Amino acid sequence: MMNRNLAMLLLLAVAPAVYADVTPSSSSGAWQGLRATYYGNKEIGEVDEKLMSLAAPASTPDPSATPVTIRFGTQAAGKVKQVRLIIDHNPSPVAATMQLEQGVPIDEIELRIRVDRATSVRAIAELDDGTLEMRSAWVNASGGCSSPPSAAGAGALGDVRFRPGADGKALQVSLRHPNNSGFQIDPISGDAIPPHYVLHMRLRSGEQTLLDADTGISLAENPTVRIASEQSLKGPLTLEAVDSKNERYEATWNSATTAKSGGR
Amino acid sequence: MGIVLRFWSSSPRRTRCSLVVSSLRTLCAITVLSFAGQAAAAAEAVTIDQVAPGVFVHAGKQLPLDAPGHDDIANIGFIVGTRCVAVIDTGGSVRIGRALRAAIRQHTALPVCYVINTHVHVDHVLGNAAFRDDKPQFVGHAQLGAALARSRAFFLREFAGDFDAPASADQIVGPDLEVKDVLELDLGDRKLKMRAWPPAHTDCDLTVFDETSGTLWTGDLLFRERIPVLDASAIGWLSAIEELGKIPAKTIVPGHGKVGHDLAFAFAPERRYLQILVTAVRADLAEGKSLNEVAVAMQVAAAEKSHWLLWDSAHAHNVARVYQELEWE
Repeated sequence: MMNRNLAMLLLLAVAPAVYADVTPSSSSGAWQGLRATYYGNKEIGEVDEKLMSLAAPASTPDPSATPVTIRFGTQAAGKVKQVRLIIDHNPSPVAATMQLEQGVPIDEIELRIRVDRATSVRAIAELDDGTLEMRSAWVNASGGCSSPPSAAGAGALGDVRFRPGADGKALQVSLRHPNNSGFQIDPISGDAIPPHYVLHMRLRSGEQTLLDADTGISLAENPTVRIASEQSLKGPLTLEAVDSKNERYEATWNSATTAKSGGR
Repeated sequence: MGIVLRFWSSSPRRTRCSLVVSSLRTLCAITVLSFAGQAAAAAEAVTIDQVAPGVFVHAGKQLPLDAPGHDDIANIGFIVGTRCVAVIDTGGSVRIGRALRAAIRQHTALPVCYVINTHVHVDHVLGNAAFRDDKPQFVGHAQLGAALARSRAFFLREFAGDFDAPASADQIVGPDLEVKDVLELDLGDRKLKMRAWPPAHTDCDLTVFDETSGTLWTGDLLFRERIPVLDASAIGWLSAIEELGKIPAKTIVPGHGKVGHDLAFAFAPERRYLQILVTAVRADLAEGKSLNEVAVAMQVAAAEKSHWLLWDSAHAHNVARVYQELEWE
């Protein structure tokens, strides 16, 4: 018996206070570099919970697929231009950069990420007036970038699964894809497998874009986006995606069906 | 290590200690272990029970993976024929592997011809290196080599202290005899039937059945007392349990927990837990719940938690793995 994050889970259970103290300084080095690259000297607000919040498990049950939820408050919903999700200590820190269409009432975005080791995870939103807001969370994990592919048997590359929430106000979209980080090991050669990952995902309603995301290897296998709204989500909703081998995937959901629509 | 093992083998105290509740038992082990650090690496033998004629088991302790003694949590042991010895799993450190080897030498002078690993997990394989000088064939599931290659960096980073210093990748010994489906090994008047399973607990589970004594060595396809940990496929695991239930086994050696003599009884709690888990996750999926909101599945806790040791170390992990398996149904 053994599970990859068990040791870290237990470490956390023993010493949460220590981690809390260590958090800001230990991640600041990585973050300062990323901040300079993406946001220069612009001020970033970190206070107003009514504007935005970020939820991530303090110690992730599955480091290779850790759910992270970004929620926008009433002050922000419909006014967010861009949200970037950054995992400070991952080999590839930027998990996704998402452009949101203004006026589109998305209140919540959930992504699944790989977490290679204990790190800050942060979401930085740019509002329509140009102001920046950031929320972060500390996640304990180990090995999320080198863990084996899941053994789930069903589904083939490019399958798309839409899973609407019971209240009709949430929709989860998953693309069957290895989203291979390149840090996994080829069992035959012992070499690192070259990355094969989803570069871009776009969700649209008819011709109106809801969410347009540049994605990377820090998204989990079978890249999954879940959006939620105060309003009912109505089909048809279409996912378009393209990966690093320039393969294109597309599938459409109609509200009436829990579609198992195929891709490509 | 040696001091601990002597402690556990001194029978009056061992009896008393193993009868108290698990937390006290853990405390006993940890307290004693703090003195064990200075013990020489010279191979002190692990405690061994003969659970069937010629079948020897060292009982792993029900400790978390980061506790002192975490390298000694799996059931490991050996089976003796008239020609040679087969080792089944080698423990979570080279030190434990060496202590198992010393225990073998107390019972037989026959050579070790096979070292069989039931799967990739660290607590079952890191002792392999202690047997290299015996030049056995290392036997495992056809996927074991790949799984070990994937785990190499992880083992070296997280379990460096369980290797001989300095920790190095060459101490992770993979199989040179691979089992794709079934394979029979002859120890001399004793045949072992190996069976490789589709993804279940891991993607490289192997079981061993000794027809002579009717002993089934399940590896981690059977957890008793300790919460099962799911890495590969809950559906696959339940199918494997179904199949294993048909084996006419008189003695069952689980990967963790007590040796049993009633196959259906031994598997019942694990099967129940996995079935409840699958049913609960399916209910959450049908409700459109995200991986973050698997409320029904986590509530399995209410009914099952009291039945298992180390619940918090694995239940949420199991829920997450089952969710990702079943969401593509």
